[in-house]
Amino acid sequence: MSRDRLVVGRNVRKVDGVKLVTGGAAFTDDVQIPGMLYGKILPSPHAHARIRRIDTRKAKALAGVHAVLTYKDVPRVPHTTAGQAWPEPSPYDTYLLDSKVRFVGDRVAAVAAESRAIAERALALIEVDYEILPAVLDMEQAMAPGAAVIHDEPDSTKIYDREHNIAGYILREIGNVEQGFADSDYIVEREFRTQRQQHCPIEPHITISWLDTDGRLVIRTSTQVPYHSRRQVAMILQIPVSRVHVIKPRIGGGFGGKQEMLLEDICGALTLATRRPVKIEFTREEEFYMARSRHPQRLRMKMGVTRDGIVLASQLTVLATTGAYGSHSTTVQGNTGSKVLPLYRAPNMRFECHVVYTNNPVAGAFRGYGCPQGFFAQETLVDEIACELGMDPLEFHRKNVIRLGDTDHLSAQLGEGKEGLPRLVRSCGLPQCMERAARAIGWAQKRKSLPNGHSHLRRGVGMACTMQGSGIAGVDWASAFLKMNEDGSFYLQVGASDVGGGADTVLAQIAAETLGVTLDKIIITSGDTDITPFDVGAYASSTTIISGGAVKKAAGKVRAQVLDLASKMLDAPVDKLDCGNNEVFTTCVCRKAVSMTDLAMQAMYKEKLQIMDGASHFNTDSPPPFCATFAEVEVDTETGQVRVVHLATAVDPGTAINPMQAEGQVEGAVAQGLGYALTEELVLDAAGRPVNANFLDYKMFAAEDMPKLTTILVETDEPLGPYGAKSISEVPINGPAPAIANAIFHAVGVRIRKLPIRPEDVLRALGAKRAANLEEEALLTP
Amino acid sequence: MFGSRGVFAMKTMELHLTVNGQSLNWSIAPGELLLDVLRRQGYFGVKRGCEKGECGACAVLVDGKPINSCLMFAAQAEGRHVLTIEGVAIDGKLDPVQEAFLDHGAVQCGFCTPGMVISAKALLDRRPDPTEDEVREALAGHLCRCTGYLKPVEAVLAAASKRKNRARRVKPLTEVSR
Amino acid sequence: MFDKVEAFYRPANVREALRLLQSGKGQARVVAGGTDVVVDGDDSVRFLIDITHAGLSYIRRRGTASVIGATTTMAELEASPQIQSLAGGLLCKAAHSCGSMPIRNLATLGGNMANGSPAADMATPLLVLDAAVVMADAKGRRRLPLAEYLGNARSNRYARSLVVEIVIPDPPRGKGCRWSFQKLGRTAVDISLVNVSAGLHLDSRGRVKWVRIALGSVAPAPMRAPGAEQRMTGRILDQALLAEIGAEVAREVSPISDARASAEYRREICSVLTRRALEECSAPAGCSL
Ligand SMILES: Cc1cc2nc3c(=O)[nH]c(=O)nc-3n(C[C@H](O)[C@H](O)[C@H](O)COP(=O)(O)OP(=O)(O)OC[C@H]3O[C@@H](n4cnc5c(N)ncnc54)[C@H](O)[C@@H]3O)c2cc1C
Ligand code: FES
Ligand code: FES
Repeated sequence: MSRDRLVVGRNVRKVDGVKLVTGGAAFTDDVQIPGMLYGKILPSPHAHARIRRIDTRKAKALAGVHAVLTYKDVPRVPHTTAGQAWPEPSPYDTYLLDSKVRFVGDRVAAVAAESRAIAERALALIEVDYEILPAVLDMEQAMAPGAAVIHDEPDSTKIYDREHNIAGYILREIGNVEQGFADSDYIVEREFRTQRQQHCPIEPHITISWLDTDGRLVIRTSTQVPYHSRRQVAMILQIPVSRVHVIKPRIGGGFGGKQEMLLEDICGALTLATRRPVKIEFTREEEFYMARSRHPQRLRMKMGVTRDGIVLASQLTVLATTGAYGSHSTTVQGNTGSKVLPLYRAPNMRFECHVVYTNNPVAGAFRGYGCPQGFFAQETLVDEIACELGMDPLEFHRKNVIRLGDTDHLSAQLGEGKEGLPRLVRSCGLPQCMERAARAIGWAQKRKSLPNGHSHLRRGVGMACTMQGSGIAGVDWASAFLKMNEDGSFYLQVGASDVGGGADTVLAQIAAETLGVTLDKIIITSGDTDITPFDVGAYASSTTIISGGAVKKAAGKVRAQVLDLASKMLDAPVDKLDCGNNEVFTTCVCRKAVSMTDLAMQAMYKEKLQIMDGASHFNTDSPPPFCATFAEVEVDTETGQVRVVHLATAVDPGTAINPMQAEGQVEGAVAQGLGYALTEELVLDAAGRPVNANFLDYKMFAAEDMPKLTTILVETDEPLGPYGAKSISEVPINGPAPAIANAIFHAVGVRIRKLPIRPEDVLRALGAKRAANLEEEALLTP
Repeated sequence: MFGSRGVFAMKTMELHLTVNGQSLNWSIAPGELLLDVLRRQGYFGVKRGCEKGECGACAVLVDGKPINSCLMFAAQAEGRHVLTIEGVAIDGKLDPVQEAFLDHGAVQCGFCTPGMVISAKALLDRRPDPTEDEVREALAGHLCRCTGYLKPVEAVLAAASKRKNRARRVKPLTEVSR
Repeated sequence: MFDKVEAFYRPANVREALRLLQSGKGQARVVAGGTDVVVDGDDSVRFLIDITHAGLSYIRRRGTASVIGATTTMAELEASPQIQSLAGGLLCKAAHSCGSMPIRNLATLGGNMANGSPAADMATPLLVLDAAVVMADAKGRRRLPLAEYLGNARSNRYARSLVVEIVIPDPPRGKGCRWSFQKLGRTAVDISLVNVSAGLHLDSRGRVKWVRIALGSVAPAPMRAPGAEQRMTGRILDQALLAEIGAEVAREVSPISDARASAEYRREICSVLTRRALEECSAPAGCSL
């Protein structure tokens, strides 16, 4: 099959685009179900408390209230809300409802009523007598002797050390780090801090559930993981998986926040209790309180290099908090080591991490999955080392980064909550990424001289290199099913979950390419547990490579059936046939052809044959996409404000199946990365309560705030991916924070090692530097 | 119905308004917000993202101007012309802004899209040839967590030049018909 | 949120509005643009009184003053040629900074004042312009200096009155007169961490004839900086004076720490923005800076 690609690699419109631009009823909430009740959760006002007594009589007596559930009314099944493949590596430390609350916003009770107003009134009528417990709010104190134990319940499992609030612990080493440091000429060690960032999908979490006419529980929900949700809901509600049907409609953004079962279980429980359709949706405030966030970390990173700037050893020691529940705790933190340290070819690496419980909002999966924290530390440290050595940071990267043919052995030690598999770099566009992004930003000139006269506005440029994975090696798998219709079109069913990133389009493109039909001939249904075959879901940058791999395999099998029949119809051997442009044709000079439509009619009504097939797919390796991020900033030395002037991102995604969509993934990730770098933080008060649970004070970037963006796709051909594709959606989020921190140093000479980089912090650092300079001068003048 | 004299304290009231060119008569609660009423009436393209005027997902045009329907009491729409995303495409023919959003990859999850399209349309109706800064300003009230705004901005600029070209082509015809 | 509201009124004039407000017995709430009312979500409200049809949307000249009706929106202010030519477009600049376009199409000048937020962006330019507020209540109309009104806007004192209009006496004009509005937010659309307005009249020798400095978001209500103004009057505006004034305003303000910024930072920014405002005011006049 050596023809030019007709669909893959093209900028086609999104297959679901028209209904989205016209406001079609496509999302979870865009249905009206007769008799639907409104569900609402009573959030805990306390960070840590035991429910001594809970009285729901008044709430139940309110007209229009159909159910009030507390821990007394529901099964007690320890589980994790993390939407991961079974057996989930996250601790089973969560309950549908519990007699203890562990953060402000934790579930106390749930009601279902005839309207939102009645539901809200009912919540106010629930009387709760709390025994307030000492709360652990500072992660540095969580392991201290005498700290309150957050998970003292005996039935939770898979907790590393509950007595000391340690949800998970990781220690991995390759080579001999002590020796590596001993051999180094120059060693730097620094401490970094990162904040609690929230996903902020514009569509908050929402679930609607009802009983179908067969009495099965149907759950229409905004999720990235319909299959995991089905399994978990069935387990929690103690009904068979076969009695649950999960439907994922269009999703208004997920970013990891919906790789989590936050409403499906409680909504389903209310439906079972009332036998009525129930809807629960988070308000924006509830989304901030009750949904997930990026794990805050304290990172200590140490690196040893030779005089000429070769990295010999690196060591990263992390303390992270998962908040009140251990959702994604060890897996996110594992990535902070395994996806970050191996960017450098150091023979000696050590990664150690404690993930602790605190009575804070719960952390979880978030685009980048542990990497943004790690790369912020590593890339800022590397910049410091290069500058100290008098070396151009770009040159330092060129010398040290992982290369084509290298094997990353740390990944072998650090898999999804267990031992992993070694990563072999089979495709690598990182060198070109660096060169092209450097050129775009004007690195060579700007590193040397920037027009920074005496103005209070000072410019600087900085860079960072990052990588990620494409699916979880040996764990993520997917399947796809295709059948041919009478008009020569194909119906594609995939369990994959398009959450807005355009997976349906990319998967349809892969099917169309393989089958030699135009994109309009592929009809796709995704993410419906009754209709589509299994898929782990949309996470870990897996959809294009894993689900796409399944689609390509399934389409290949169907193609073989098509060619078989065509061979009969055209009286030509299969190896002389090809498909393209909605027909099958002979490749020899005779140029006979049959249209897909005629072929389909022949199959169905003459041969009595449904052309159809399915396939499953997984990989034992997780090919890394690579990324180089270059930033130019302008620092206002009087206000401390940092304006990003230009951000250039070059990514190696393997093949870009749909380049326009791939660019969109980069730009969206960059916008979130900019917020992570400069403005976004869910701030808690001394009682563990969010103080900025709204978009007015939780500051994301808007259209006017964005810098000039340059997006460069450096395509490579990945042997393990469909048509050479790896992944793209996560990796670009890692670079902005360190690239900006480094550019700030270049501009004004201060190192900021805490995120977000707030104007106040920059101003304070500038003040400290000025004071230090004065002191130095005073010492020098006799 | 409830002009300056209407001092009747009742829990529902009548609302007359025009939505997407259709004259309508609804019964509403006096404290209801326009967003809630529109969604109840099936205008699902009007999205609920924050209910505090911060995200722009609920934007509609009232008498041609973009507003956040989560901040407007439905009763304030009395007698006014409301345009929702459902009314932007006419007889299935997409507006140039919608076409451009599709062609430029400006739609990802699509949850912010109705609001962005509505505001972009209002901008182009007012300023057919906006600068990039003006486009960014017009979209500043619309948070998008997916796109990083570059492609939506490009799409609006492309739609502007397309509308301009179309206007140029159409002009002689209207002169003839006059 | 407003499910206990029993009636929504749309009075056609101020008298009617006041009568409704009176009969609401404290449970009535005036709605103009609604951008603050809705976000507040006060559950005790039983009656809503929409005053946008009460004839208060206007921008007029009256004698030697400009008069702006309370329900004039930010968008209308921005677009008004009369406001654009008043004090170098100072009010347009401030109105333009109030939220996003969909917000500015709703938000009104009267609401911005009546809501009584220390961060209200229209307050400092109006203070600099020596504006007055015309109020109406059952007893009739009266005129209050804006500073006095703002000082009590959050109290109960005006609960049964309406802001009818804002009166802006013609400010000093001429070659040496300049104006500046400075706002610092975390992003482009933001509530002010600090905002500063200034008006400056320099004589032909660069001496300060007249000056107004007002600061927002740094005290319980938007405030003038009388100490700084006094120090400047009659002096040549040079770098030394700017530094002195920067330090003086930092002494005069009383900011708090919150999720947006610390008091310490706000205080420092007061100096910076005041200096920048005065620099902007003096730069084109060709003085010693
Ligand atoms: C997303 C968002 C962003 C914002 N950004 C800014 C910003 O950048 N800068 C800024 O200054 N503000 C901002 N605001 C606040 C708000 O928009 C302004 O304060 C606006 O001017 C209020 O006007 P309104 O007509 O909407 O007031 P309303 O909400 O209608 O009323 C506000 C208050 O004043 C009372 N009231 C209104 N009119 C009168 C009157 N004539 N007489 C007596 N009482 C009256 C009401 O009863 C209510 O208590 C923002 C708000 C939102 C939601
Ligand atoms: S829902 Fe109205 S602005 Fe967000
Ligand atoms: S496309 Fe998802 S929020 Fe804009």
